[in-house]
Amino acid sequence: MTGQGGAPLLEMRGIHKSFFGVSVLNDVSLTLYAGEVLALLGENGAGKSTLIKILNGDYTMDSGDIVLRGRAVHFAEPRDAEAHGIRMIYQEQHYAPDLTVMENLLLGELPRGQGFPGRYVIDWGEARRIAEQRLSLLDLKIDPARRMRDLPVVERQIVEIVKALSGDAQIIVMDEPTAALTPPEVKRLFGIIRGLCDRGVPVIYISHRLDEVFEIADRVTILRDGRHVATRPIGELNLGSMVGLMVGREIGAREQAGMPAPASVPVVLEVAHLSKAGAYEDVSFRVHAGEIVGVFGLIGSGQLALTRGIFGAEKPESGTVSVDGRVCRIRHPQDARAAGIGFVPVDRKVQSLIMGQSVRKNITLSNWQRLNRLGVFRQRLEKQHAQRWIDALGIRMAGGMEVPIRFLSGGNQQKAVLARWLEAEVRALILNEPTWGVDVGARSDIYEQLEALARDGLAILIVSSDIQEILAVSQRVLTIFKGRITAEFAAADATKDRLLAAAAGEAQ
Amino acid sequence: MTSSDAVSVGAPRRPRFTDDRLTTLSLIAVFVALCLFFGTQTPFFFSSANLDTITSTLAIVGITAIGMTLVLITGGVDLSVGSVAALSGVVTSLLWLKGGLPLGLSAVLGVGAGGLVGLINGGIVTYLKINPLITTLATFSIVRGLAFVLSEGQTNLLSNEAFNFIGRGSIGGVPFSLLLMIALYLAFLFILRYTQFGRNLYAIGGSPQASRLAGIPVSRHLLTVYVISALLASLSGIINVSQLASSAPRAAVGLEFTVITAVVLGGTSLSGGKGTLIGTIMGVIILRTLDNGLVLMQVSSFFQDVARGLVLILAVGFDQIRLKLSRIQRRRA
Repeated sequence: MTGQGGAPLLEMRGIHKSFFGVSVLNDVSLTLYAGEVLALLGENGAGKSTLIKILNGDYTMDSGDIVLRGRAVHFAEPRDAEAHGIRMIYQEQHYAPDLTVMENLLLGELPRGQGFPGRYVIDWGEARRIAEQRLSLLDLKIDPARRMRDLPVVERQIVEIVKALSGDAQIIVMDEPTAALTPPEVKRLFGIIRGLCDRGVPVIYISHRLDEVFEIADRVTILRDGRHVATRPIGELNLGSMVGLMVGREIGAREQAGMPAPASVPVVLEVAHLSKAGAYEDVSFRVHAGEIVGVFGLIGSGQLALTRGIFGAEKPESGTVSVDGRVCRIRHPQDARAAGIGFVPVDRKVQSLIMGQSVRKNITLSNWQRLNRLGVFRQRLEKQHAQRWIDALGIRMAGGMEVPIRFLSGGNQQKAVLARWLEAEVRALILNEPTWGVDVGARSDIYEQLEALARDGLAILIVSSDIQEILAVSQRVLTIFKGRITAEFAAADATKDRLLAAAAGEAQ
Repeated sequence: MTSSDAVSVGAPRRPRFTDDRLTTLSLIAVFVALCLFFGTQTPFFFSSANLDTITSTLAIVGITAIGMTLVLITGGVDLSVGSVAALSGVVTSLLWLKGGLPLGLSAVLGVGAGGLVGLINGGIVTYLKINPLITTLATFSIVRGLAFVLSEGQTNLLSNEAFNFIGRGSIGGVPFSLLLMIALYLAFLFILRYTQFGRNLYAIGGSPQASRLAGIPVSRHLLTVYVISALLASLSGIINVSQLASSAPRAAVGLEFTVITAVVLGGTSLSGGKGTLIGTIMGVIILRTLDNGLVLMQVSSFFQDVARGLVLILAVGFDQIRLKLSRIQRRRA
């Protein structure tokens, strides 16, 4: 698939960029050949997105050259890059949710009729025909007249990809395209990517999911701290060496998590016969003190609704939740918190954090027993508590705990969310996709923290669609399919194939 | 990306000027500039008689603005305050004049009637999940209508020595209504800054979803805030009746706009999560000074509305520019 024999299609050479005197890219180079998949890797803040934004014309570089098909080009704005066939598919989606699929696909270029007054009127029949034709490129059966909002997230993303592919696409850049996709959909996407490569269109692929990189990439370019570290064919790397290059230090292979808790250890969180029509059905399980239980399911299998149900964010229709053997009446999140359950939602920016408030206030948000005396908030004590968690969890930030939390990296934000629930002294912690958008270094930090917390007696339930993550931290794994628990594995028996089979509803 | 990379762990640095402090400083500057301007234009401006005029008329807008600040901090708005103020006055006068109840009890019940409106506002906003702007726009109209229906459009005269004291009395030369207002400001300053409830309001305004999932009783807090807003508006209504010695269904027309102007002038964000009572009281004082100065300069009362609007746009526009500047500075840091 690699077309390395010929001249490169794209070369970025000696790129420098700084913002307000802080160097973000320092002599970075990138070479792209026709028909290849080049993975661009690095921790958050390594400079990947800046480099891509320069390629896209979003930012202008301070110095350096961009050579496309042997000719130097200069992109002053995104329109220039687009005219040269450079297409971006972003992690965050950019579409108008209340418009239809075809309106989104043909945004700004809806076909009009002819003559007067026809040329002032949109030709909807023609619009539908063009949209259907474009969707068929990816073998997609979506009614172009449906509103984007009504589609599953996955299909919205595929529509975005279709939109990017239209026109004369020369180079495709994908930024974390699989974040919201299920394994079968990832496969479908990879098929699409390979199809592009066969047509000679190269793809620059950015992902934190390294297993995907091994599956799809031909070559890898790694950045660290704004510098080019290495460019290697994928065959010359393994997971350890790749992470080592990204982080700049060796991260040992994670050891398999501990043994399942013996029956004598008390149960902390018990869920019995929890049901909600259309979401999850008769779910029962227990989490012991000091145990980390993983729930693995493909996206949309009901795991999200289940955790929201346990936490009272969306009331279940029947069933009970008990903490330390006492059945709790949980109608609202505040009941769950009072019962000693903490909850880490998927969408950190919207559902976990008060982005405009300081790190300190975000950490102490859920604790109002120990920090209050006679109804008065004890600010000095609060600072001590916040500082304790910042030190204990290694939350790194420039400027101290009064800095608004939106200035922290994803990993450090997530640690602050953990700190919030530890500060509230919960007995059980439910985490949804705990390391989405968290870079590799911080990710292994978070796993280590969770294991340490479990050793201290916290009961932890981790819901994830990342099978590596589930295998890395769980002592026991439950699989969920269509809202039902389909199987349970001890860590020693949990293999990738078995989990995938159970999560796809295949009988054991 | 720069902020997450440049890691410096150590003693927290306290920024010299926080956003709030800058807002307060610029408000003081505006106030001083206004005073100097009016002082040079009309010598009467700095007289003690004029000081009395200003201070004795701050309470109605000032007290209502406390509740409005709380509501805006949570990301809501309460357009019904003017109508609620009128209703509480009407109910009070009817209970006293026609119901034969003692005046004190009538006033308490009048304030209670206003509080009931707040409960309805809050209930609709939290449980029916209707946008606060629409909800209170509706009750703004309904409650004003009720005030007319109940009073049959009549203005009732109320005169009672003890009652007059609320709006017109003074202790040691300081108007009682002003003292009441100051006491309320001190109480709510404390609540906002030093109680869990106050802190939760900011969190709710910052992100209602995240607050709920952090276990904050968001609905109960919102309900409380709308009740507080209505109770304070009702109290302002009583003060108004006492000052005028009469209750009228068209009392306090436009109060909501004056109050929102003052609160926004004071740096409270309409999108929630941000605001201080120090800023609000400064906003109230500046507006009142502006009105007073323009009257003294014999500017047409029509033009006063124009001036008020201009000041609002200038203040908020200035705030936006300052915000952008501080963002650039932060990125550089």
